[in-house]
Amino acid sequence: MSRDVAKRPAFEPPSELAQAGPRDPRMHRPVATVMGAALVLLRVLAGTVWLIALAANWNDVIADQLDDLAIDLDDPAVGEALWFVLAIGGVLLVIDLVFGVLIYLGLNWPRIVVMVFSTLSISGTFLAWWAGDQTITLDQTLFTLALDILIMLALSSRAARAYARRNDPRLPPA
Amino acid sequence: MMSVPPSSPGSAEHGGRRPSGYDAGMGGADAGGNGATIEPVRRRFSLNALLDGFFFVFAGLASVWLAYLLLTESFSFGWWGILVFIAFWLVLAYLVLPRLHRILTTIYVPDYFMGRTRTSDGLLGDPVNLALLGDDAQLLAAMAAAKWTRADEVTLRSSWRIVMSTLTRRSYDEAPVSPLFLFGRKQDYAFQQEVEGNPAKRHHVRFWRCPEGWLLPGGARVDWLAAGTFDRAVGLSLFTLQVTHKIDADTDVERNHIVATLTAADPAITVSVLADFSTGYHSRNGGGDTIRTDGDLPVVDLRAVAVADAASPAEPAAASAPGGAGGAASVTGGTP
Repeated sequence: MSRDVAKRPAFEPPSELAQAGPRDPRMHRPVATVMGAALVLLRVLAGTVWLIALAANWNDVIADQLDDLAIDLDDPAVGEALWFVLAIGGVLLVIDLVFGVLIYLGLNWPRIVVMVFSTLSISGTFLAWWAGDQTITLDQTLFTLALDILIMLALSSRAARAYARRNDPRLPPA
Repeated sequence: MMSVPPSSPGSAEHGGRRPSGYDAGMGGADAGGNGATIEPVRRRFSLNALLDGFFFVFAGLASVWLAYLLLTESFSFGWWGILVFIAFWLVLAYLVLPRLHRILTTIYVPDYFMGRTRTSDGLLGDPVNLALLGDDAQLLAAMAAAKWTRADEVTLRSSWRIVMSTLTRRSYDEAPVSPLFLFGRKQDYAFQQEVEGNPAKRHHVRFWRCPEGWLLPGGARVDWLAAGTFDRAVGLSLFTLQVTHKIDADTDVERNHIVATLTAADPAITVSVLADFSTGYHSRNGGGDTIRTDGDLPVVDLRAVAVADAASPAEPAAASAPGGAGGAASVTGGTP
């Protein structure tokens, strides 16, 4: 052999973890992608339930949160604020729903976007928990956190990655 | 010395799957030449790949936290805590440990041939205990003639079916086998024989096509490597904490069974033995089962198998060309 012979290190490069496999356009939709999309839909469902619960208890929530300020609950602004919150939440949920469907269809960018937001959400919850501000019990906090982490696990898996990038022209063909 | 023909389709296919893997490890044979199809050795990482790598590790760490939260919560819920504890076990065994194993073995387990397959988590799996000579069609024809059944692909449906058939002890002759990896690739073909209609017990063997120009340690050239083991029961692995098939420790019995069924079905098949090929290897498989072997590697020569004659009575689909009528032979290339 004319090439330089280098000693092989005792470990493989960690960059292997970031290595994408070859693209395979004929790949079948893996279980991980289906689970990831289903979990995103579940999160939309949980968000919808949360919004409905918020609307049902709106006056209590307002009174609870803003009890320092003398708020008149009969003020029409209170009702308008509810609609404002519902509209924002609804739009976010619809976007999340669309992302879930796009992930199921095998697009890559919605997968990345969803994982970025899950990462931020998990990190935020973790910091609050670590600082001791937030206790995480078997209620909605743990449920939403578990959903976020399961979404991360499913969508970051190699199978989901390979499926989302099955048509990526930058990857070598299978 | 070993060399890879610069741009043969085979080397493009196998080398392209794992640019840094076997070919490079076995002497840097793909360092140049077929740059049209293989990533250059000096890899560039896109933002996408870096993000994917980050998310892969981040999700693993986050899942450790989730498992911890579930464990601590399970103590504070009385009898309902048992359900939370089961959730903890499921998260630990099926999500956390596989991801951690995947991250650590990617770095710590050397990525070259060592006579062992690897599980999808990167752990060492069943031993390679059989080699074959011949092409795709001859392998499929010989296995069909020897009364072996192609295993179904692992899908949601087939996974559900194997769970139900195990619980109800109903026969599932085409039950899927878990993927094992060699040369950085999932098996190309998996075959099995169910024993007494009980899905918990089965003979099974997985085949990998060797990369073009690849030689066994010692210099012998073979077309296929195979790992055959006997599933004796379904149980909890204390190694991965998952419910899996337990394999019979004496892998030689299964190896000899495969060779015997092949040679009995077709007198054109001959066998030579590389004695003490794997005597130096010993250990456990990915499920923590011990294995014993005399270390011999039989090389089954299928090159004299007449494809049309051998296959047509037993399984017509196996004789059709790759991509043919939806049958056994239609899944080629190793990544169905």
